[in-house]
Amino acid sequence: MGNFTVTIRKKARYVDPGLCNVCGECAKVCPVVTPDEYQMGLSSRRAIYIPFPQAVPSSYVLDMEHCLGNNPVACGKCAEVCEKKAISFDDRDQIITREVGTVVVAIGAEVYDPTEMDDYGYTRFENVITSMEFERLICAGGPTEGHFVRPSDQQRPKRIGFVQCVGSRNPRMGRPWCSNICCMNTVKDTLLLADHYPDTRSVVFYQDIRAFGKSFEDMYQRSKEAGVRYVRGLPGEIHEDPRTRHLVVTVENTTSGKLERHELDMVVLSVGLQPPADLRKISSLLTLSKTSDGFFMEAHPKLRPVDAPTRGVYFAGTCESPKDIKDSVCQAGAASSRAGALLNAGKVTIEAITSRIDAVACTSCGVCVRVCPFGAIQWTKGTPAVVVEAMCAGCGSCAAQCKPGAITMRHFTDQQILAQTRAVLAERPEEKVFVFACNWCSYAGADMAGISRMQYPASNRVVRTMCSARVSEEMVLEAFRCGAPVVLVSGCHYADCHYINANRQTVKRVQSLWAKLEKAGVRPERLQLEWVSAAEGQKFAKVMRQLDELRRTVTPEEIEHARKAFKPKVRRAAAEAAAAAADPGTAT
Amino acid sequence: MTATLERFRCMACGHEYQEVVEEGEDKERTCPKCRSNSIRKLKKATEPAE
Repeated sequence: MGNFTVTIRKKARYVDPGLCNVCGECAKVCPVVTPDEYQMGLSSRRAIYIPFPQAVPSSYVLDMEHCLGNNPVACGKCAEVCEKKAISFDDRDQIITREVGTVVVAIGAEVYDPTEMDDYGYTRFENVITSMEFERLICAGGPTEGHFVRPSDQQRPKRIGFVQCVGSRNPRMGRPWCSNICCMNTVKDTLLLADHYPDTRSVVFYQDIRAFGKSFEDMYQRSKEAGVRYVRGLPGEIHEDPRTRHLVVTVENTTSGKLERHELDMVVLSVGLQPPADLRKISSLLTLSKTSDGFFMEAHPKLRPVDAPTRGVYFAGTCESPKDIKDSVCQAGAASSRAGALLNAGKVTIEAITSRIDAVACTSCGVCVRVCPFGAIQWTKGTPAVVVEAMCAGCGSCAAQCKPGAITMRHFTDQQILAQTRAVLAERPEEKVFVFACNWCSYAGADMAGISRMQYPASNRVVRTMCSARVSEEMVLEAFRCGAPVVLVSGCHYADCHYINANRQTVKRVQSLWAKLEKAGVRPERLQLEWVSAAEGQKFAKVMRQLDELRRTVTPEEIEHARKAFKPKVRRAAAEAAAAAADPGTAT
Repeated sequence: MTATLERFRCMACGHEYQEVVEEGEDKERTCPKCRSNSIRKLKKATEPAE
């Protein structure tokens, strides 16, 4: 746990921040002019520049990609005028290595680029801008020093439209998530406009206004009171009058059911957030998992909202999900507290449910390494694999996948689970629906069904495992051997898996089992797979009712056929008997 | 990113359907008819769609 070795590339600045006194003489003589990224390309900067006004350290930096004075020195004017001799073209990137106990991942998010949404004409019409560009235009430190003008004629726009959910809440584009910040950002922008320019008429085109935070509803109401018109409906297309450069927005107002036509001076696209491009790289470096939206997935949405599934790693900010400044600051505080608690613990207690590899039985195939979601197994070809127990979270997917049976999952050994299976199905198995339920979700879902007094047939018998990925093929086949008419493997929903993505192994295994059953002449439908969350007691009850109906269709002949079709392999049966004899305490 | 049309069968209700699957996608599968998660991916050549 923890003990990360971090290799950091410290990029060369080419300006010594200890010597630079920010006199600005260097920028005055620099002949290179390039778009200023901070100002969203709305103004320019020199090759030697301060990235943004509040940059720390407050010192110039040389953009070597654009500088003319590198190798061999062709320009060097900045170095000539620098009285402090702070500029050095010989500066090089430094590689720094640090040993750290915890890592806080705060890589942020990216803003959606609307160039692909050509319906709104972002690439065709100069007066269609993004909310980020709006931010720079209205900012006192922006390219126009806060004088809000439209790009086509530098005149102040008096009719402004805001289009919400650009690049958000759009399943057709594969971007179904809500970006969380855009609604209130637009409300804030309309209030800014109303404050700076009371004669401006603002129209907001929206799907829903999500004003859920503290004082947000009040702010929304103030915006409406300031005369901002909110039209429920998103424009299909935006056209430009080539003569006046005014924009014509046609929209169906879904509140009134009427088609409206708005002529506007400027349109602001309220762009959403998306996962950063390098998220995948960080994800593989720290063995982190992602949600279906592509943002990082926390260890648990309610109980461990800032923890990554990898121990010692925490999240802060929008890399985990789109969120505003307040929430990001809250999460950063929580992440640093969690990291501090771990660093100051001195001694860490971990669950005893971890796996152990028998070095003699291990064939060094490396399968366990591939299926371990936590990267907790160390292995080099030709040598037995070793579990790093401090990293092992105890899902058991390695033990379920280990063909030679070299991995023992403490407290959930093969012998224990097989013994439970046999005991459950020892009497009248034909009357039972056999269920493997994961500890965190499905077992809790069954509990929920029970405590909610939901009615379902009493035919089910549940065996608990920590994760559905612990259920090996052998365990399912053993249930059929013991005469189970129907077997259910159930676990957490994809986004809720407590072991990063271990339940994907369950899917693979069940797919393979369906093929095996079919090959053996056993109805594959007799094996079912369901994701049941801790809150889905109703679903658990429904599934139990359906499986009981299925159980009634399974004939004694079918049960007998399955018993015979999956005879245990002699070698495995002998190994199991030997293991039980050697350690009788493990069999319950 | 490449996408292929895959065939699936619900092992709970028997419903067969096709869906576009993007390379490397990690998506929980649910039967569009009965909402079951017992979704079997079918082989293209051996099991023709109904």
